[in-house]
Amino acid sequence: MSVLGGIGFTAPWLLLALLALPILWLILRAVPPAPIRRRFPGVALLLGLTDDESASDRTPWWLLLLRMLAVAALIVGLAGPVLNPQAAPEQGDGPLLIVLDGSWAGANEWDRQIAAIEAQLTRAGRAERTVGVLSLSSPEVPNFQSAEAWRARLAGLSPEPWQPTAETLARAEEIIADLPDFDAIWFSDGLDFPGREDLLNQLRARGAVEVHRGQGTPFGIAPATFRDGVIELTLRRAEAGPERVAGIEAQGRDPAGNARTLARATATFAAGETEATTSLSLPAELRGRLTSFDIAGVRSAGARTLADDGLRRREVALIRGRGEEEGLQLLAPLHYIEQALAPSAELIEGSLSDVLPANPDVIVLADIATLAPAEAEPLQTWIEDGGLLIRFAGPQVAASDVSRGDEDPLMPVRLRAGGRSVGGAMSWGEPKSLAPFRNGSPFFGLPVPEDVTVSAQVMAQPDPTLAERVIASLSDGTPLVTRKTVEQGQIVLFHVTATAEWSTLPLSGLFVQMMERLAVSSGASGTEPGNLDGTTWTPLRVMDGFGTLSEAGTLPGVAGPRLVSDATGPDLPPGLYGTEDRRLARNVLTEDSRLTPARWPADVPVRGLEMPAERPLAGLLLSMALVLLVADVLATLALSGLLLRRAGGTLALFLAFGLAPQAGEAQEDDAESFAVRAASEVTLAHVLTGNEEVDEVARAGLRGLSDTLYFRTSVEPALPTGVDIERDALAFFPILYWPVTPDQPQPSDAAYGKLNDYLRSGGLILFDTRDADIAGFGAASPNGRKLQELAAPLDIPPLEPLPGDHVLTRTFYLLQDFPGRYTGRDIWVEAAPPDAERIEGMPFRNLNDGVTPVVIGGNDWAAAWAVRRDGAPLVPIGRGFAGERQRELAYRFGVNLVMHVLTGNYKSDQVHVPALLDRLGQ
Amino acid sequence: MSPAPLSLRAGAEAEAARLPALLARAEQLAGAVLPGAHGRRRAGTGDDFWQYRPAQIGDSRRSIDHRRSARGDQEFVREREWQIAQSVMLWVDQGASMRFASHKALPEKADRARLLGLALAILLLRGGERVGLTGTALPPRRGRPQITRLAELLSAPDSRDYAPPDHRGMLPHARAVFVSDFMGDLAPVQEALTKAADRGVRGLLYHVLDPAEEAFPFAGRTIFESVGGTLRHETLKANELRERYLERLAERKDALAQLCARTGWRYGLHHTDASAQSALLWLHGALDARQERAA
Repeated sequence: MSVLGGIGFTAPWLLLALLALPILWLILRAVPPAPIRRRFPGVALLLGLTDDESASDRTPWWLLLLRMLAVAALIVGLAGPVLNPQAAPEQGDGPLLIVLDGSWAGANEWDRQIAAIEAQLTRAGRAERTVGVLSLSSPEVPNFQSAEAWRARLAGLSPEPWQPTAETLARAEEIIADLPDFDAIWFSDGLDFPGREDLLNQLRARGAVEVHRGQGTPFGIAPATFRDGVIELTLRRAEAGPERVAGIEAQGRDPAGNARTLARATATFAAGETEATTSLSLPAELRGRLTSFDIAGVRSAGARTLADDGLRRREVALIRGRGEEEGLQLLAPLHYIEQALAPSAELIEGSLSDVLPANPDVIVLADIATLAPAEAEPLQTWIEDGGLLIRFAGPQVAASDVSRGDEDPLMPVRLRAGGRSVGGAMSWGEPKSLAPFRNGSPFFGLPVPEDVTVSAQVMAQPDPTLAERVIASLSDGTPLVTRKTVEQGQIVLFHVTATAEWSTLPLSGLFVQMMERLAVSSGASGTEPGNLDGTTWTPLRVMDGFGTLSEAGTLPGVAGPRLVSDATGPDLPPGLYGTEDRRLARNVLTEDSRLTPARWPADVPVRGLEMPAERPLAGLLLSMALVLLVADVLATLALSGLLLRRAGGTLALFLAFGLAPQAGEAQEDDAESFAVRAASEVTLAHVLTGNEEVDEVARAGLRGLSDTLYFRTSVEPALPTGVDIERDALAFFPILYWPVTPDQPQPSDAAYGKLNDYLRSGGLILFDTRDADIAGFGAASPNGRKLQELAAPLDIPPLEPLPGDHVLTRTFYLLQDFPGRYTGRDIWVEAAPPDAERIEGMPFRNLNDGVTPVVIGGNDWAAAWAVRRDGAPLVPIGRGFAGERQRELAYRFGVNLVMHVLTGNYKSDQVHVPALLDRLGQ
Repeated sequence: MSPAPLSLRAGAEAEAARLPALLARAEQLAGAVLPGAHGRRRAGTGDDFWQYRPAQIGDSRRSIDHRRSARGDQEFVREREWQIAQSVMLWVDQGASMRFASHKALPEKADRARLLGLALAILLLRGGERVGLTGTALPPRRGRPQITRLAELLSAPDSRDYAPPDHRGMLPHARAVFVSDFMGDLAPVQEALTKAADRGVRGLLYHVLDPAEEAFPFAGRTIFESVGGTLRHETLKANELRERYLERLAERKDALAQLCARTGWRYGLHHTDASAQSALLWLHGALDARQERAA
C-alpha cells in the first residue's frame, strides 16, 4: 500500500488513469448531444434557416467539469483509498498471535480493546497474515486463520472475572510451545500477575512482541466490612496517581423486591495513594436488603463487591421463662447466649407475644416447657414461615410432661421423663464429652475441645426418626442437639441448659461457633478458613468479567476453606455462594489483595489502545461518482429541454434519488381513507390470508353476497374489502369472513387484542375451513389444525352446533341447511344458555341475546357466493339445477347471516311469533 | 419470371382491398352532403324548362308547346335549358410529403386529400358533371364507372417527395380542383395555375396541412427529414426555429392566396384534425358558386 498525504491506496497504479482525464475532456467537449431524427414534410420550409448560436453545440464547461469530477471520483474510488492507514514499517509477514489478558481489569475498556484488536486484524488482513487469538484467562488452542475469520469471532470474546492463574498460564505456555513461530501483540489489562514475565520471555523467544494497554489505571473495590455499626468500603487502585474521586453505589432491593440503588457514597483517592476508604451508615433494615456495592460508572467485576451474611445482623429474640426471679447474673438462663450473640446479632428481649410481631429471625427459649395455646399457635406459624426456634433444656423441661408421650409440635424429639445426670456427686461415671460431629451435621468440621463436658441432659426417646434429627451427640451416642425442620423453618433443641449448670458447653468457644453454624449469628469471624472446615458451598449466582450476575446453573460446589483462601479462577468464579441457610460472597478482590501494575521491559514497545481508525474511502468516492453522474443526466436533460417534457426524465430523477413518496404519510392517509371508506357504508370484509387465490375468491364471494343483499334486502353494502388484521382497524366491519388456510401467518398479540375487542363489541367472525368439514373440527385436516391455532388466543364463548331454532334460521329466509360450495353437516355458533327452555306453544326457545361472536363451518361459502366482474358465478357449484339451488341457499345463508349481525335477535323477539307461525303453516 | 406477376397480383389485391373502403367512405361522405345543397335533379339531362317564347319562323312544328299555345291565339315554343355538363378536373397530390400524420389518431394528409377528392368527384358525378384527373391518365367522363377508375388512380402513390401539379390535358373552360400541401416548390404550381387561367380554367386550390405543420412543436437538437428522405435539415435548437418557420408558412399561404386571386381561383385551407365533412361542404359550395357564376 502506498500512502499519499495521509491517504493510502490499495491499488495505486489505477491512479495513472487520471492522466487520461484531459483526453476525455477533449473527447467530451467535441461531441454534442445526440440529435433526434424526425420526419417532417415542412422541412422544405426550414431549409436555409440557421441556428442563432453556433457555439451551443459544445457541451458547457460546467457540465464537462461535472463529468470529469465523476470520472475522477470513480478512478480514485477504484484505487482503494484509505484514510489514516496504519503505517507499520515493522510489519512482518508470518503468523500473528494476539494475546489477551482477558481479565476483569480490562472489562471497563473492553470495547476499545476489541476495536483495537479489530484494527490489528484489518492490518494483518491487508498484509495477508494469519492470525490467532489467545486469552490468558481462558486459554484455548488458537487456530491460525485469516483475519476476516477472526473478525467475525471478535464479538464472542469476553473478559473473565479472574486474572490469569497459574493453571491457565501453564496451559497457555503449553499451547504456545506447540505453535510455529509468530509475532505477538499483547493486549494487557494493566495488572501484574505471577508468571507474566516468564510468558513474556517465552513470547519474545518466538518473535517480535508488542504490548498494547489502555490508559486507565485498573481499580476495584474490596469486600465491605461491618464494624462498629458502619459499613466500611475500601477502593484500591493499581497505580498511585493524582487525586481521584469515585462514587460508590449500594445496590439492593426495595421492599417490593425490585433492584435499586439504596445509598450512595464517594471515596477519594488522595494523590499518591493507592487506597481510598469511606464508610456508610445504614439502618439494619436497609442493610439486610443490600446485594452489592458498585463503583459508579465502571463496568468490571472488580468494581463490584457482593454483600453477604457478613453485613446482615440477625434479629434474635430471647424469651425468658416466666416467674423469673432476681438472681445472680451468671445464673440467669440467657446470660451466656447473650454474651455469645451480642457482638454479631441484634438482640430483642420481651415476652413471646410482644416479640413475634417483630418477626425476628431467631427465637431462643431457655428452659421453657409449655407455652399457652395463644402463644404456641403464632409461634408455630412463625416457624412454618421460616423462623428458627432454639430451645434449651433445663430443670423445667425435664420436670414437665412436654413431648413425653407424643412429640410436641415445638419439640424436635420426644423426651424421656426425668433426664439423666452423669458424673455428678450422686451418680456413677464421668461427665461425658462430645463426640466428633458427623458428616451431614451443620457442625461438621468444627473442632471438639476436650474440656467440654456434659453432666446432665434430657434424654430423647428412641424413635425411628431420631437418628436423622441428631446433629450433635455425646461420646456415648446420646443426642446432645437435635433438630427438625417444620415447613420452611426449623426447631433446634439443646438437650442441656443454656447456663453452665448442666454442661460446660456454654462456656466454650465451640458454643459461639455452633451458634454461627446454625446461622443464629454471623460475622467476620465466619470467614476464617478454620471456621469453614468441612463445609461445601454451592455457587448460587456468579459474576462474569463485566460484573454481571447470572445464575450459576450446575457449577460444582466449593469446599469452604478454598472459597476464602484460593484465588479466583475458572474453578472458583467470583459470585455468591451458599449453604442451606447461609450466604457467602466471594469477590474478585479480597480484604488483603493488592493491585500491582504491570511493568514492561524497556525494549518491549508499549502502545495505547487508541488508534485513528482506518476509513476506507472507496465507497464514499464511488457513491459520489454515482451522484455526479445522476446530476449529469439531469443536467443533460435540462440542457436539451427534455427534463420536463419527458416522463423518462422525471422517472430518472426519482430512480436516482430514491425519492419515493413518503411511505409513512401515505400509509396514514391510507388508514384514514380506509376508515372513511369502511365507515361510510356497510362494508363486508374478509381477512387477508396471504394466499392470493383464497383472497381473490373471498373477495369475489363477498362481492356476490353484497350484490345479493343489495338486490333483495334493504342492506346496501359497499364493495367488500380485504382486511389486514395486523394493520387495519376492524371496528368498522359488521362481519369478518375468515377463510382458513394452513399456511397463513399467526396474527401478532396486538392483532389478537384487536380481534378480541372486535368480538366483545359485537363483531362476528365467520371462520370457514373450506374443507367440507371432513375433520369435524378436529385436528385431522390441516385447515382444522390451523383453525385451532388461530382461534386459541381468541375470546370465544362455548360453542354448539347450530340448533334448529337458532335465530340464524329465520332472520330473513327460513332455512334449515346452510350449504356453501359443500353441503357440510353442522355449523357452530355460540351455545345457548343452559336455562333456555322452550315455552309451551312456542316453536322455538327464547335464546340468548345478542349476536353470536363466531360462526364456524367448512362449507366454503365464499366460493358459492363468488361472482365475476360481470356478475356470472365464478365457481361451479354442484350439478345443474340442484347446484343452482344449492348456490341460492348459500346466498340465503349469507343474507341471513348479515341480517343476524345487523339486527341481532330481532327475529327472536316473540312479537313475531304469530306471523312466523302463520308462515310456517302451524 | 414468376415473382413479378405474383407481386403484381398481390399488390393489385391489396389495392383492390383498399379501394372499396375508400369508395365506401367517399360515398358516405358525399351522401351526407347531397340533399339540399345542390338542387339539381338527376333524371334526364338538358330537358329542364327554361322559358316560353312566341314561335318564330323557322321553329319546327314539333317544338310548339300546345298546352301553352291553347290558352290563347299565339303559338309558343317551350325552350329547354341547354345544359352542357361541366368538366371538373382533379389533381390530388400523391407525393411522399402527403403521407404524413403527426399523431397516430390523425389521418395522413394524403388519406384526407384522397377522401375529399373522391367524395367531391362522387358528388359531381351524381350531379351529372364529368369528372376526370388532370393529365392524360383519366379524361373527364360521366357515370358511376368513373368513380371506380378515379378511386383506383387516386390510390396510386407517387414516390417523389413533393409532386408538382399536372397541368396537361386541361380542357378549356373546365373546372379544376388542386388538393395538396403545397410544401414543394411553388413555381410549378404557379405555372399550372397561369396555364389553366390562360385556357379559362378556374377552380379551387385546396391546401391540406397537418396540425404539427402549423404548430411546429419541436425542441432540442433535431434532424428534420422529409418523408421521402431526400431533404434534411439539422438544428440544435428546434424551438428557436419555430418563429421563422411559421413566418415562412404564412408567406407561402399568402403567396398561394395571391396566386389564386390573380388567376380567379379560390384558395381553401384544411387541417387534418378538422372534420372532413365541413371540408367537403366548403369544396362543393365553392365549386358550385364558381359554376353558377360561370354559367
